Amino acid sequence: MSEIPAARPEPVETEPVETGPADPSAIGDDLGLGLAVPGSRLIDSQGHRKVHPISPLVHAVAVFPALAGVSIAAGIQRVSSVGEQLTGFPILDALPPIAAAILAIAVLAALLAVIVAGFQYLEWRAFSFWFDDDGDFRVQSGVLIKQQRRVQVSRIQTVDVTQPFAARLFSMAAVVIEVAGQDDSRVRLKYVTLADAREIRREVLARSAGLSSDTSEAPQNIVTHVPARQLALSLLLRVSTAGLLLITIAIIAVSYLTEGWGGIGVALVTGGVPLIIVLSEFVRYYGFTVAESPDGVRLRYGLFRTESRTVPPGRVQAIDYVEPLLWRRAGWARVRVTIAGVGTESSNSNNQRSETLLLPVATVDQATDVVARILPNLDTSSFVWIAAPARARRRSPIQWRNLAVGWDEHSFAIRRGRITRHLAVVPHARTQSVRWTQGPWERALRLASMHVDVTPGPVSVSGLHLDADVTRTIAFHQADAARLGRQTDHSIRWAQS
Amino acid sequence: MPPVNIDETFTTTTDPSDLWHPVSPKLVTARRIVLLFTLVPLALFVIVLAWVLELPVTIAAIVLGVDAIAFIWAWWLIGRRVRSYAYCERGEDLLVSSGILFRRLVIVPYGRMQLVDVKAGPIDRTLGITTVQLHTAAATTDAAIPGLEPQVAADLRDRLARRGESRSAGL
Repeated sequence: MSEIPAARPEPVETEPVETGPADPSAIGDDLGLGLAVPGSRLIDSQGHRKVHPISPLVHAVAVFPALAGVSIAAGIQRVSSVGEQLTGFPILDALPPIAAAILAIAVLAALLAVIVAGFQYLEWRAFSFWFDDDGDFRVQSGVLIKQQRRVQVSRIQTVDVTQPFAARLFSMAAVVIEVAGQDDSRVRLKYVTLADAREIRREVLARSAGLSSDTSEAPQNIVTHVPARQLALSLLLRVSTAGLLLITIAIIAVSYLTEGWGGIGVALVTGGVPLIIVLSEFVRYYGFTVAESPDGVRLRYGLFRTESRTVPPGRVQAIDYVEPLLWRRAGWARVRVTIAGVGTESSNSNNQRSETLLLPVATVDQATDVVARILPNLDTSSFVWIAAPARARRRSPIQWRNLAVGWDEHSFAIRRGRITRHLAVVPHARTQSVRWTQGPWERALRLASMHVDVTPGPVSVSGLHLDADVTRTIAFHQADAARLGRQTDHSIRWAQS
Repeated sequence: MPPVNIDETFTTTTDPSDLWHPVSPKLVTARRIVLLFTLVPLALFVIVLAWVLELPVTIAAIVLGVDAIAFIWAWWLIGRRVRSYAYCERGEDLLVSSGILFRRLVIVPYGRMQLVDVKAGPIDRTLGITTVQLHTAAATTDAAIPGLEPQVAADLRDRLARRGESRSAGL
């Protein structure tokens, strides 16, 4: 067993970070594209609040880009062939086929939008929300099937303000309240004006932090900003992307040299798929900005659709630093977090990834700085590390050098992976249970693994292939440390502690 | 079976006064019945298939031989696996250990238990055994104690629930 130095240098003094938007209040608002809509705080006859009355219209407008996307995907060729068949209407005959097709699609979209607006109007009439006498949040909805949902504010995990592109046109936003729970436990308020969205977020967060509901909105300071160039470069340098692009280049080179162009179809796939992924992630995380407020850490990102997430510090269960091979020269890392009940829904894998992301790319110093605001007691430089013994090479020939577990009085951490390195950390107070496992091969080599179980999410805390006896001792110590951590932990209502 | 003092695997880390409880040997019978239900139909299926397709006898014999060896090995392993199950109620947490090929030890703090299930399938019910399963907020917590007498299981569940209540913590 040997002591190995901590993976990360100690947090240096925060150098002036390159901040994008100068205005600190730029997080989660100010992205309206012009059409500011007056009117807010609508109250119905029972004293319940309503979402904004033009919401049906926003839903309707969202139809247009979707339909345009479908049309483009269907192909110009096919669209114009549709246009050629549109005969019999005097106006359409006068136009070239492509224009006729576009006109027809526009009319179709308008019809669809009217239908959507009609349905959404009914939904809007049935939808209301309020804080009940116990201070819990209630939502009533449903046209045919009435539904009333009560959200315990102490269980609220995150409050997000998102702006789909259509909503941005009207300076509107949706508020998404995430609760710990399986299945679809979130509440969506679609849509309210940006000012209202901030107001609702402020009130919900203040109540869930255990403060009185009229606490003023928390001030915020920008902590870090991911420049577009760094984001693009980091996405290209991911192991999977870079690998596929290299294969593409190899295929093209071979095709060129041998003049056998049969492989080009494969090259289109191996080159096209990663480029599409890179492009879509770039659009999604464009302008990633992290700001700090007493509510928690605020994340804002998005080129067309903007999202503003608030990660309350007491709700983070575990974090994972991810360092792909090609990022290491630049000293970059990606940071993912597990928040109870967030990102576990099976519906949309794309959403899952963004909901559990704390930083898409950052230098180690930036990452340490942001993480320190979520887990203030975390200091990986003070960890005691126990590395896998050299015989672990026969179990994991590639990653054995990076296998280790470490701990200090507040947290437990593991390191694994060689090509893509992981450093996962869980505070003792967030440990659910501890497992010690040993497979036949591990047993033959006197090795064993230990796992700290945390709530479902992207972070897995498994210390792999360590010395069997040492690992068992550590597992029992971790169970004790977890108990002590729970007793001294008050971060559930973090603002009161 | 009476609880035993000190499991040889855990001498270094547990208090000698901790009692490790084994599970009922009826679990061996239950698991062997399940084994019969899987491997015997498989053997019959091979025989019928060989007969219908007129396969050479050697191939059928090899498949049946492998099936028989697997059967004997699994039969023997079940006995050892069931004997490897043990649980220990410590002051602040429950320990569950099991496994021969893949060994594991789960430490579940009482304060982290979300719910305790007691369940029994048809074979279990006929033989009079039940499974106690603990759940925490983590999906990966894998703490099931199979093969308990119904009364033992109910008592264990009640004790665990009581301890969980007095120590429960938020997420």
